[in-house]
Amino acid sequence: MASITDCVVEGLKYPFNDIKKLLGLGVLFALISALSTFISTQSFEVSTITMNFVENANGTVSQMASSQLPTGNIYLIIGLSVLSFIVSLFILGYQYDIVKFAIDKKPELPGFNDVIDLFVKGIKYFIVVVAYNVIPMIVLFAGMVFGGDVSVMMVFILISVVLFIIAYFLLVMAINNMVAHDSIKKAFDFKEITDNIANFGWGKYVGIIIFTVIVYVIIMVAVSFVLSFITVALSIAIPNQIIAISIVAIIEGLFIDSYASIFFNRVCGSIYRESIK
Amino acid sequence: MILEIYKDALEYSAKDWKTLVLLGVICLFSFLLLPIFLIAGYNYRVVSNAVHGIINGRDPLPGFDDLVDMFVDGVKVVIVQIAYLIVPVILFLIFAFIATYLNDMAAVVLVIIGSLITLVVGVIAYLMSQMGLCHMAYNEGVFSKAFELREIKEIIDEIGWFKCILTYCGLIIITFVISTVVSTIIGAVFTVFGFSGLLFSAEAASGIFIFGMLVNWLISLFIVGPYLGIFNSRSIGLLYTMQI
Repeated sequence: MASITDCVVEGLKYPFNDIKKLLGLGVLFALISALSTFISTQSFEVSTITMNFVENANGTVSQMASSQLPTGNIYLIIGLSVLSFIVSLFILGYQYDIVKFAIDKKPELPGFNDVIDLFVKGIKYFIVVVAYNVIPMIVLFAGMVFGGDVSVMMVFILISVVLFIIAYFLLVMAINNMVAHDSIKKAFDFKEITDNIANFGWGKYVGIIIFTVIVYVIIMVAVSFVLSFITVALSIAIPNQIIAISIVAIIEGLFIDSYASIFFNRVCGSIYRESIK
Repeated sequence: MILEIYKDALEYSAKDWKTLVLLGVICLFSFLLLPIFLIAGYNYRVVSNAVHGIINGRDPLPGFDDLVDMFVDGVKVVIVQIAYLIVPVILFLIFAFIATYLNDMAAVVLVIIGSLITLVVGVIAYLMSQMGLCHMAYNEGVFSKAFELREIKEIIDEIGWFKCILTYCGLIIITFVISTVVSTIIGAVFTVFGFSGLLFSAEAASGIFIFGMLVNWLISLFIVGPYLGIFNSRSIGLLYTMQI
């Protein structure tokens, strides 16, 4: 490979190899978009009811009896959130497979045949992501709780942002390592992870990830620009705003989010493949 | 030598008017953000063709195949240019920042000196960024080569700093002259038409004037702009090959 950015080129083309599977993943993303739109309308309703209560009774939210709360809506919100979490586990499982295929340099996209397997992989992926973000999260919360002064809080937030970034760079290689050996322990084998990155070159590694993120952001900004046009057009054509917004959200989930996530994970897998050479 | 570069680049850019129009169409959609990178990527391809060849007048224009590749190249080009551009900008901001702590007279002097230094650094940074792009293209797109300052400096040393700057001044002048002359000629033609239209009615005259502006805009968008873009890229790429 002449240049490492060729991985990015390859990753951008890769989702077009099998449009059906791209759309299959897109359906999951569209489902999440639809669910989250629905959840936000429901929570808007809840807050409207609560605000009405506060205004009419001159009380505060904590004085509300639980029977006065719109329990139906709240249960609906909780149920839908759990559902969308489960769907996102499937998406993570699929991303796991994409990384796997990238490491093996297979030209086709992974299938959806083994649903249970996808789910298990998704849980693994999720655990690793959470584990890597625990430390910066703790710092962030510590800052929120103990940092009374604004300047102290700023320092805490700054430290946590730096930690988040470091954790992210390690996370990419950690997931690759986990997928390559198909064992969740390998995601926390820091020696092997740092060895892999050192083998690849730290500067090159950070550079390619930043480059990929830049390409990702450019695509997303351009697409959201186009989608905002469509939203405006739709909201003129359709009197119901929520339907217009949901249509755009579903379009974005179906084509854009799925494409972007496949692209990103493919590039990550390719980085691992180059690093163990 | 410099004149040969210009001659080759002028002929090269005029080879295929379809390419120019196609670039113009892409340019028209550049408000969608992605086409900007496509154009940058196309110009990078022109540079790449030039640094791998010699002045021979037979190189074909690069094609529009593999748009994804073109897009990623364009992103690389934009990143390199921004990275080099940041240096003079930060330098100027530092001067401006210090100047706010000084009294009137000293501040003015400092800003003037700072602007001059920024100008010099900016010219150098621009030269280095263009040569960096050529160097990157020469090394098959290896991104880090665009920032190998020592290698790039050696290349410019071999070509000669004076020759480089002279070539750039020439490019700026040629670009300016071509765009001005073309729009002046079209403007003049339509002005004559417009005044002859006055013989009939005022509406006809103003219609002709507006039509003239439209034609001017279209020609500069679809023909002159892309032409000059390819011309500049080709010249810089050929300048890179002038090292001995």
